This record gives sequence, C-alpha cells and structure tokens, in this order.
Amino acid sequence: MSKYAFLFMDDGVDYQTDPTPEQQKVYADIFKWFEVNGPKIVDAGAELQPTRTATTIRKSTGKVTVVDGPFIESKESVGGLSIIEAPDREAAIAIAKTWPGYGIEIREIVEQPVRKV
Amino acid sequence: MSQYMLMFVGNDEWFEAQSKETLDKAMGGIMAWWDDLEKKGVIKGGEQLARQRTATSVKRVKGQMKVSDGPFIESKESVGGYALIEVEDLDKAIAIAKSWPGGDVEVRPVVEH
Repeated sequence: MSKYAFLFMDDGVDYQTDPTPEQQKVYADIFKWFEVNGPKIVDAGAELQPTRTATTIRKSTGKVTVVDGPFIESKESVGGLSIIEAPDREAAIAIAKTWPGYGIEIREIVEQPVRKV
Repeated sequence: MSQYMLMFVGNDEWFEAQSKETLDKAMGGIMAWWDDLEKKGVIKGGEQLARQRTATSVKRVKGQMKVSDGPFIESKESVGGYALIEVEDLDKAIAIAKSWPGGDVEVRPVVEH
C-alpha cells in the first residue's frame, strides 16, 4: 500500500459564502464521498478557507516579507487535502475519479525515516 | 485555538540542482524545526509530497473526469509539503511560518467542521 496526498482543487468556488444551490449539492456530495471513502482515508487533513484569506511568507529575495493573498494567483487553487491509502497509483486515480468536486491533484507522500519524538 | 494550514512552496528545478550535502543539511534543519513544534503540540499533522512532476491530475471537463500526467496548475512552484498547526491566531501562525527553515509558505485558515 502507498500513501497519496489528494489536493482537492477548486475552480474559484466559495462554499463558505453564498454558494448556489448547485454548489450546495456538490458540497453535500463531497460530505458523502468522505463517508463512503472513510476506510481509505488515513488522514482527513483539512478543508481550507478561500484563497482571499491566505497570507504568504516570501523568503526568496533573501528578506522575509509577509503579504496578503495566495502564493500563486490563479482561479484554480487548493481547497483542501487528505491523505489516502491505496495499493497503487491506478487505484488512487480510480478513487479520485469519483470525486464530486472540480478536480484533484494526486501526489505520492515521501515517507520520512522513523524517528523518536 | 484555531487551525491553520502551512503550505510549503516547492520547486522541482531548485531541488534537483542542489547537492546531496545541501539537501541533507536543509532536511536536518527542517526535522529539528518539525520535532520541536510537534513536541509542543503545535503541529497536528503534515507530510512531504513527492515532486510536482510526479503528479497525476484528475479534472472535471464537461462533466467527465479527465486524467492527465503532471500538476493541476502549470507553474514552476507548487505545494511541496504541508503542516497542520493549532495556534491562538493568524499572527502566531505567521510567526511560525516565518520560522520555517525552508522557503516560501502560504498560510490558510482551516474550515472548522
């Protein structure tokens, strides 16, 4: 079994503020999706507030600056993420295709060496 | 207390241009930072993601889910890892993001369910 991060992608929809009836239905279907796929989800992760609430810390210039807004200004953005366990990438893709929302970017997890905390 | 997601910005090209020594040193710093915050109960979860070029994307196009190789958004940079943290407020979350030994960070509040 391998672990995959599912980055749930949004297409500019804001489920938290004034969603349309159609968006409300998608949001309800997403809740059902989490129920159905519960056993495959090893870490529920989080749903994120919209990108307008983002703060970005930039260090690339050698100086640390804090700016309002997301790192990448784009209509499409990460709206949440969860960690899924699946036998292989094909299986992960099959699960992702059942997602009721806009889309998912699948990224394998880099396993960290076991360490004592 | 509130939860925030710290999304660490990754860049495949940068990563692949570094020597093993440089990467090991950077990883050591990140591990020390991580362990400290985990012990303090600030970090509630997180992972490092495989490089962006290994991504598979599934996207709804005219009602159908289309599968394609590569990241969802074409950009040199993308999420390279994340940490879910629990702190008093956004200012505290920003302070922790500033202390991250790696590169750029996007901080996003989490939807409470």
